[in-house]
Amino acid sequence: MLVTWRYRKRRSLVQSFDPRAWIIFYLCFMGVTISFWDVRILAILFGLSLGIVISSGLTWRETRRAWLFIGGFIIYFSLFTFLTGRGGMEFYTEEHVIRNVQASFTLFGWRPVLHITVERIFYALSMLVRVFSLASMTILIPYSFNPAQYGVTFRGLGLPDKIAYAMDLTMRFVPTYARDFQITMDAQRARGYEIEKLRGGLLAQVRKLAPLIVPVTIQAIAGSEDIIDAMDLRAFGIQPRTWLEELHYRPRDRALIVAGVGCFLFSLALSIYGVGTFWVPEALKSLPLL
Amino acid sequence: MDRKMLGVILTLIIVFAFFLGLVYVGGNMLGVERLQTGERPLLRFAFVGIGLVAAFLVYAFTKENKAWVVGTREVVYMAIGAALYAVFSYLFNGTVFVVPSVSQVALRPAICIPMFFGFAFGPVVGFFTGAVGNMVGDALTGFGLYPQWSVGNGLIGLIAGIPMLFADKKKSLDTVLIVGAILAAIGTLFFFLFRTVPNTLFYDPANNIFGDQPVSLLVGLSIVVGFVLVLIVRFAFGKNIDVAAAVTWGMLGNLIGLGFAALSDIWINGYPLPVAIVGEFLPSAGPNLIFAAILVPILVIAYKGLQRQTGR
Repeated sequence: MLVTWRYRKRRSLVQSFDPRAWIIFYLCFMGVTISFWDVRILAILFGLSLGIVISSGLTWRETRRAWLFIGGFIIYFSLFTFLTGRGGMEFYTEEHVIRNVQASFTLFGWRPVLHITVERIFYALSMLVRVFSLASMTILIPYSFNPAQYGVTFRGLGLPDKIAYAMDLTMRFVPTYARDFQITMDAQRARGYEIEKLRGGLLAQVRKLAPLIVPVTIQAIAGSEDIIDAMDLRAFGIQPRTWLEELHYRPRDRALIVAGVGCFLFSLALSIYGVGTFWVPEALKSLPLL
Repeated sequence: MDRKMLGVILTLIIVFAFFLGLVYVGGNMLGVERLQTGERPLLRFAFVGIGLVAAFLVYAFTKENKAWVVGTREVVYMAIGAALYAVFSYLFNGTVFVVPSVSQVALRPAICIPMFFGFAFGPVVGFFTGAVGNMVGDALTGFGLYPQWSVGNGLIGLIAGIPMLFADKKKSLDTVLIVGAILAAIGTLFFFLFRTVPNTLFYDPANNIFGDQPVSLLVGLSIVVGFVLVLIVRFAFGKNIDVAAAVTWGMLGNLIGLGFAALSDIWINGYPLPVAIVGEFLPSAGPNLIFAAILVPILVIAYKGLQRQTGR
C-alpha cells in the first residue's frame, strides 16, 4: 500500500505556478542562497521565503512536526556555534569583543569564559537565516507538489520517460518505506530490540542493524512484483509515454523561470567577484580585539 | 559510432572544456580569486573530468551488453533502490536515531543499498539508486545538496553492478581485490604521513566537535579493517560466488566512487590532497567497507531466498 505525502490542493502562490517552473525557481533560490554569507542579503532571501511560506496556505498544525524538527536542530547548531566560536574561522581572522562573561565557578582550577564577539553573533545569525531560508522552501515541496504530477514534471524538465517515471516512483515510495521502516522497528522493539542501545564492538553493532535493513529491503523488492506486472500489462516503455495530466507553461510561469535563472546568474557573478561575503557592521569593528 | 554516442561524448568534452576554460581564463588570466585552484589547476581539475569520463567509458565499451537495458523491472528497482537509500540515509544520518559513534565511526548502514541494488539489478539501477537516493536523502535532511558526492554514490552502485557484464562472475575478482588493496594501501599510507589532518565529516556538537578533530586511529585504519573483512568474505564464500562478487565489486565501487567525490573537493572546496584523502576519503570509504562486508552478504542471501520462493 502506498502512503502519500501530505499534499492538498490549496489556493496559494506556490500552487498557482506550473510545477516545473516552481522546481526551477526553487533550485535557483537554493543557488542564490548558498552564494552569500552577508546577513543583509540573506535577510532579504529569508523574508522572501517566509512570504512564500505564509502565502502557501499551509497551517501550523499540518507542518508543526517538520518545523519543530528542523527549527530545533538549526537553533541548537547555531547556538553551539555561537557559544564555541567554531565553524566561522574560515570567514574571519580576528574577533571584536562585546563582552567577556566569566563563570562564577571553576572546574579543576579552570574558569569557563564566554567571549561574546561581533563576529560570532553575525556568523551565527547568518547561518541561522541561511539554513532557515533553505529549509522553509524545502518544507513546502511535499505539501504543495501534487504527487500525480511528479512524473510529468520531471519529463517536462527534460528527463527521458523511463527516468522521469523512476523519479516519480521514487518520490512516491519514500513515505511508504519510511512507514514500513517504522512498522519493522516497532515489531523488532516488541521483541526487545533497541536501536539506541546497541552493544558490542563496531562489527557487532553493524551486524545488529541487519534486523532493520534487511526486512524492509526484501519486503520492498517482493512487493514490487505487483507494480511491475501492472506496468507490463499497460505496455510500459513500448512507445513514448503519454501522461494523464498535461502541463502547459503560461506567461507567469515563464516569468518566474526567467526571474529565478536571472537572479541565480547575477548572484553567481556577484559571488565570484567577492560580493556578499561574510559581513559585520563597520561601526562595531572599533571594539577591542579578542 | 552512432549519433547518440557522439552527442554524449561531445557534451562531455564541451562541459569539460568550459570548466577548464573558466579556471584558466577566469582564474589564471583575469586573476579572479574564486576561480584559482593553486599551482597545478589542470591536474587538480582533471580529476572531476576523469571521474565522469571513466564512468561513461565503461558504458561505451560495453553498451551492447544487455546489462545496460532498462525495462519495466529496472525502472521499478531504480525507484525502490533510490527511495530505500534516501529513507535509510535520512534515518541514520544522526538526527533521527542517535546511534552513538564508535571512535568517530558513525553507523550509517545505508551504503549497502546502492551496492546491493547495483549487484542484483545492474549498473544502471545501481547508479540511479546511489545518485538519486543520495540527493533525495540530502533533501529530506534539509541540509543542502552536494552533487559531486551524489555522483560518487552513483559510481558506487554502477561499479557494484559491473559483474553483470560478465558471463562468469568469478572472472576478474582477483584483479578487483588487487586494485582494492592498492587503493586501501595508498589511503592508509596518507593517514600515517598526515596524522594531524582533521576528520572533516565528524560532527558532534554536544562534545564541541565540528569536523576539526584529528582522524582517529580506528577511522584511519578502517579501510584496512574493511578490506580484510572483504577478503574474508571473498574466500569464506568462495563457493557462493554471488556473495563474493557482490562484496568485492561493492568494495571497488566504494573506493572509486568516494575517492572520486573526495578528490573532486580538491577543486570544489580547495582542500589540499592530504585533507581530501585523510579527512574525507578515509572517514567515508573506510567504515563503508565494514558495512559492505557485513550487510551486503546478508542482503544477497536474503534476496536469493526470495528469488527461490517467487521463482523470478
